Amino acid sequence: MILQATVALPVLVAALLAATGRRLPRPAVDVTALATAAAVTALTALTLARAPHRPQVTWLGGWGPGTGVGIPLAADPLAAALACVAAALTLAALAFSWRYFTEIQAVFHALILLFLASMCAFVYTGDLFDAFVFFELMSVVAFALTGYRSEEPATVHGALNFGIVQSLGAYLTLAGIALVYGRTGQLGLAAIGRHLTGTGAHGRPGALITAAFVLICTGYLVKAAAVPFHFWLADAHAVAPTPVCVLFSGVMVELGVYGVARTYWAVFPGLVPLRAVAVLGAAAAILGAVMCVLQHHVKRLLAYSTISHAGLLLVGVAAGTPAALSGTAYYLAGHAGVKGALFLAAGALLNRYQTVDARDLRGRGRVMPVTGAVVLIGALCLAGLPPSGLFAGHSVTEHAVLERGWWWFTPLSIAAGAVTAGAVLRVWLVVWRGMPLRRDPGETGPPEAGAQEGEHEGPETPGILASLPWVMVAPAVALLAAGLAVGLLPGGPVADAAALFADRDAYAALVLDGHLTRPHAPPAEPWTPAGLAGSAVTLLLAVAVAAAGVRRAARTRPAAPAARAPLARAVGAATRRLHELHSGHVGDYAAWLTAGVAVLALLTTRF
Amino acid sequence: MRPRTRVTLFAAGAAGTAALFTGGTLGLPAFGGSLHPYADRAVHHAVLRGTPNVVSSVNFDQRAFDTLGEELILLSAAIAAVALLRVVRSEDERGGATHRHGPAEVSDALRIVGHLLLPLTLLTGVYIVAHGAQSPGGGFQGGVILGTAIHLLYLAGDYPALQRLRPIPVFESTEAVAAAAFVLLALAAAGASPAGRVPALNTAVGVEVGCALVLLLGKFFEQALLIREHPPAGDPREPA
Repeated sequence: MILQATVALPVLVAALLAATGRRLPRPAVDVTALATAAAVTALTALTLARAPHRPQVTWLGGWGPGTGVGIPLAADPLAAALACVAAALTLAALAFSWRYFTEIQAVFHALILLFLASMCAFVYTGDLFDAFVFFELMSVVAFALTGYRSEEPATVHGALNFGIVQSLGAYLTLAGIALVYGRTGQLGLAAIGRHLTGTGAHGRPGALITAAFVLICTGYLVKAAAVPFHFWLADAHAVAPTPVCVLFSGVMVELGVYGVARTYWAVFPGLVPLRAVAVLGAAAAILGAVMCVLQHHVKRLLAYSTISHAGLLLVGVAAGTPAALSGTAYYLAGHAGVKGALFLAAGALLNRYQTVDARDLRGRGRVMPVTGAVVLIGALCLAGLPPSGLFAGHSVTEHAVLERGWWWFTPLSIAAGAVTAGAVLRVWLVVWRGMPLRRDPGETGPPEAGAQEGEHEGPETPGILASLPWVMVAPAVALLAAGLAVGLLPGGPVADAAALFADRDAYAALVLDGHLTRPHAPPAEPWTPAGLAGSAVTLLLAVAVAAAGVRRAARTRPAAPAARAPLARAVGAATRRLHELHSGHVGDYAAWLTAGVAVLALLTTRF
Repeated sequence: MRPRTRVTLFAAGAAGTAALFTGGTLGLPAFGGSLHPYADRAVHHAVLRGTPNVVSSVNFDQRAFDTLGEELILLSAAIAAVALLRVVRSEDERGGATHRHGPAEVSDALRIVGHLLLPLTLLTGVYIVAHGAQSPGGGFQGGVILGTAIHLLYLAGDYPALQRLRPIPVFESTEAVAAAAFVLLALAAAGASPAGRVPALNTAVGVEVGCALVLLLGKFFEQALLIREHPPAGDPREPA
C-alpha cells in the first residue's frame, strides 16, 4: 500500500492544484505542494528503511504473479533509495521556488508533483511497458517544465529540441519492448528474465535479443545523455527554470542510467555485452568535461558537467559487477546532492543579477557569502573531496573496475572529476574572489563561437530580492550537506543492495515469489589509501585547471593570431569545432541519434 | 553541420538502425502462428472475472496502471498547453491585438446541419462511453467524440457560440477532477468485481479525455484565430 500511495498522493494533489489552483492564494498552493513532497519523501524513506528486511512488492489490482497479467511495483533497496533521492530533490526545488518565483501559477506546482509521481512510478515498476509509460509521462512533464517561460524564443527552441530528441529515443525504446514481447509473450521484467534464462547457454542468444537491448537502451541513454545522444541536455538546462534544473540534473538524467541498469540486470544479464554502454559513457565523460570547461554560462557549465558525471555513472554500470554498482550508487547519491546545491546557487545568482554569465558576474558574489561557500565546497566535492558521495563513488568504483582489468577508468574519472570541478572552481574564483569588472572592451577577449550563449538570461523572476531569504539558501545548504554525508554511509548495506540489484534470480524471486534474498556481499570500502590518493590528485588537478582558466580569462587582449603558438591555434580550432557540433539544429541532433544507435548496435553485436 | 554532412550521417545511422531492426524482427515468431501467450492469459482472466468486454478488462483491470499513466500523460499535455500558450497570448493582447469575430458567412445548409448534428454527436459520445463496458468503445474513444463534437459549431461557422459553449477554466478544472477521480476509483476498486467498476472508470476517462481535447483544440484555436494583430484580408479560415 505504501508503494501505491507514493505514486497516488502526488498525482491526487497535482490534480487538485490543477483544478482549484487559480482560486487558491499562493501561500496555500506552496504549502500544499511542499507538504505533499515532504510526505512522499517520508514514504520513500520508510520504504527504504523496510526494503532490506521485508519484501516491498505490490501487485496492482490483486493480479498476482501466477496470473501472468497485471503490473507489480517492487522496491529493492537501491530503487527505494533512488525514489527517496527524487523526492528529497523535489522538496528542495519546491522550497527554493517559494520565494524565487514572484509570479507563478499553481500549474507549476502541479507539474512538479506529476514529475515526482512519474519518477517514483518509473523507479518502482517491475513491468517493461509500464516503465515506458511512466518514462513518457516524465518526459511530457519535463518538456512542459523546460518551456515554462515560453515568452522567450530560446526557451521554446530548447524545449522543442528536448522534446523531439527524447521522443525519437522513446519510439526506439517502444520498438525494442515490442521485440521482447513478441519473443517472450511477457511484459514483466522478472518474467521476461526468467523466460530468457538459459537462452544464451546454447551459443549466441540471437539478433533479436541484441536488437531489443540496443533499442530499449537507446531511449534510456538519450535521457542519460550518453554521447552522441547528449545534445538536448545543455539546451534544455540553459532555458529551464533553475529549480527544475535541480531535478533534471540531480535525478532525471540518472534515471536513464537506472533504466539501463534495471533492464540489463533484470532481463539481459549474460545475454549481451555492456561494452557499448561503457564506450558511450566514457565518451560522454570526456566530451562533457571538455565542453564544461569551455563555458562561461554557469547553468550550461553545470549541465555539461552533468553529462560528464552521468557518463561516469554509465561506465560504472557497464562494468557489470555488483561492487562497481555499489560505487555507482554512492556516486549517484552524492552527485544528486552536490549538483542540486550548485544549481540552486546558480539560481540565486540569476535571481540577484539577472545573469549567470561568469564574466559579467566578476567579483559580484562577495555580498552572498553563504552561496559562495556552497559553490566552493560543491566544486571541491565534484573533485572528490572526502567524505562526499563522489569521493566514495570514485574510490569504490575504481577499485572494483581495476579488478576487472579496466585500467583506463582511473585516469578517466580523475580527469573528468578534475576538469568539471576546475570549471566550477574557476567560477567561484571569478565571481567570489575576482575584482569587480573594469569595463575594458579588450578584457573579455575576442568573441568566440559560443559568445551568443553568454547573452543576458531573461529574468525568471521579475522582482529582485533585496537579500536572499533563508528558504532559498537553506535548500542549497541542506542538499550540499547531504551530498557530503553520503560518503559516510556504511559500506555493508550499500554493497548488499547492489548485490541484490545485480542478481536476476534475486529480482525475479522478489517480484514473482515475494521472497527476499539476503546477499552477503563484501562491504564497499571507500576509505582506502588508493581512493584517498586519487581524491588528492583530482583536487590538485582541479585547482590547477581553475587557476589556468582564471589566468586565461584575466589576460588582456590576446596576442595577434599570427604570433600565437601552433598549439593554441589548434586548441582554438578544436574549440570552435566542438561549439559547431553543438549547433542547436534539431536535424543534426536526430542524425547523431540514429548514428548512435548504429554504433551501439555494432558494439553490442557478437560477431 | 552542413546539410550534406547531416544527410550522410543520418543515412549511415539509419542504415545501421534498419539493419539492426530487421535482424531483430527475423527472430520473432512466424506471422499468423497459434502462439499468443499474453492474449491467452488476458482473455482467460477476463472471462474468469466475468467482464463482458476483454478490452475493458485489460485497460481498466489487468493493466489499469498503464491506463493511469496514459491518462496522466494526457492531463499533463493539456496542462502544458494551457501553461505554455497562455503567456504568449497575454503579451499579444497587451500589445493591442485587434481581433473581431462573429458568425462566419457559411451556407445555411451547413449551419443547420452543424447545429443539428451537435446533439446527435454528443449523444453518440455519451453512448460510446457508457456502453464501453459491454461493447467496443469506452472512455478514450467516447471522450474523443465528445471533445471534438462541440467543434461542429466552429465548422458551422459560429466561433462565438463555440467560445460560449466551452469556458476554458471550467474544462481545466473538470479535467483535473476527472483525473483525480480515476486515480481514486482505480485505488478503491482494485480487486473488486469489474462489472461495477468498469463503467465508472470509463466515465472518468471519458470526461477527462473529452475535456483535454477541448482544452488542447481550444488553445490552438486561440493561437490560430485570436492571436493576430492584423488578420490578413481574405483568409478563408478567418471568421469574418
